Amino acid sequence: MGYRAENLLRLFKGAAPTLLGLFGVLILALPVRFAEGLIPAPIIPLVVVFFWSIYGPDYMPPLSVFFIGILQDLLTGGPLGLWPAVYLIAQFVVLSQRAYFMGREQKVVWVGFAVVAVGVSVILWLVMSLMAGMMLPLRGLVVQMFVTAMIYPLFGIVFGQLHRRVLVEV
Amino acid sequence: MEFLGQDKREGLGRKAHSRFVLLLLILVSVLLLLSSLYSAQASVFQKAREGVIDAASPVLELLSGPISYVNGVVGNFSDYFSVLKQNEALRAENAELRQWMDEALELREVVAAYDGLQTYSAPPDAQPIDAYVIGESNDAFARSMLVNAGRARNIEVGQAVVDDKGLVGRIVDTGVSASRVLLLTDIQSRVPVYVEGANVEGILVGNTRAYPTISFTQSSDPVEVIPGQRVMTSGAGGVLPRSVPVGVIEGQSNDDIVVRLYANYARTRLVRIINYEFPAIGEIVDDAVPVVDENTAPQAPAEG
Repeated sequence: MGYRAENLLRLFKGAAPTLLGLFGVLILALPVRFAEGLIPAPIIPLVVVFFWSIYGPDYMPPLSVFFIGILQDLLTGGPLGLWPAVYLIAQFVVLSQRAYFMGREQKVVWVGFAVVAVGVSVILWLVMSLMAGMMLPLRGLVVQMFVTAMIYPLFGIVFGQLHRRVLVEV
Repeated sequence: MEFLGQDKREGLGRKAHSRFVLLLLILVSVLLLLSSLYSAQASVFQKAREGVIDAASPVLELLSGPISYVNGVVGNFSDYFSVLKQNEALRAENAELRQWMDEALELREVVAAYDGLQTYSAPPDAQPIDAYVIGESNDAFARSMLVNAGRARNIEVGQAVVDDKGLVGRIVDTGVSASRVLLLTDIQSRVPVYVEGANVEGILVGNTRAYPTISFTQSSDPVEVIPGQRVMTSGAGGVLPRSVPVGVIEGQSNDDIVVRLYANYARTRLVRIINYEFPAIGEIVDDAVPVVDENTAPQAPAEG
């Protein structure tokens, strides 16, 4: 493999988590209607940000998180700045607890993700309720976060394999 | 899992993750949020939205094709359990519609007779533009869809979007080749409506629930509505055309009049954007022809 190709490959590996996050945003903007829209699409970018903030923060620099959030705001038509703020705050919290999560069982990490998801929901609900000037119904958000948290172990395994086998060259 | 979390400095952030950058970006996001609160229509934000819609539309269009195919095959799973019942309901509806068709044909002749009168000038025709839904925000609070028609096909902000059942929403952002439709359930959605037969006008307010509510501004008296009455756009404000069907009154819950929409957002796939222009007042004066507006226009002759 030539020097150039190797560099390109390294760049791609470095950018892979960011690209996954952007792909997750795309899924949130596509007309996917699981079971006639009864089951909302999971917020995959949150999983991506959470996972790589713990296991490889270098792969998920704050600027990537910011752009993932901005793209989500622009594509889903929400108030600009909300999702970047939410993702970055989640990353800040996760990074501060990173030492605790490192080397723990996946069950513990899963619970950690659920806690982050709850925190994120509270922020989202508060900001959107303030903007709407009324107490917004919680149901849709709770269901979506629940689906995301339930699906986390699956993504944890897939991302773990990807991180171990492809991204970090052992 | 000791293999995870090896710091090899291989990622994008070679210089390690800096807390300072993280905090700075949080601050930037919050400032963005605050500024978008006060100037949501600022040209910079608007340009960014339109640019992203345009940039993403080819990808969304490509991916939404197979997705809607899968949705069509697997998605309508409730159909499997209610085919017989649906069939029966459809047959009943068909019989009812046949009667309506007869009545409509009769009325068409009546209207044609009125059209022949010199004093009547027809309201301007709408030029509908058909488009496919290529995107939908899967967000708990932001309810909108992206359609694959934009400024290149004369789509403008404010135009009404309908499907085969009724009003879907209205255009809020227009790119060159794609536009955003704000759904009636979004918290920002405000659509002037009237309740047929109840003689009241109000505003349909979205609240992220499936059933939006009507709030009344004109009269503070308690408004009497009966479940089942139709809700139509009133055309007030001169943005949406009058008498586009929106939904039916579902009921009343703590002072809110709840509306069940005709549009079924879980199945919306093909929509029609109504390019409607209100008759300008200047033209009417020039023509010196008495123009009858729709309120007083010849209605179905009740007496005969």
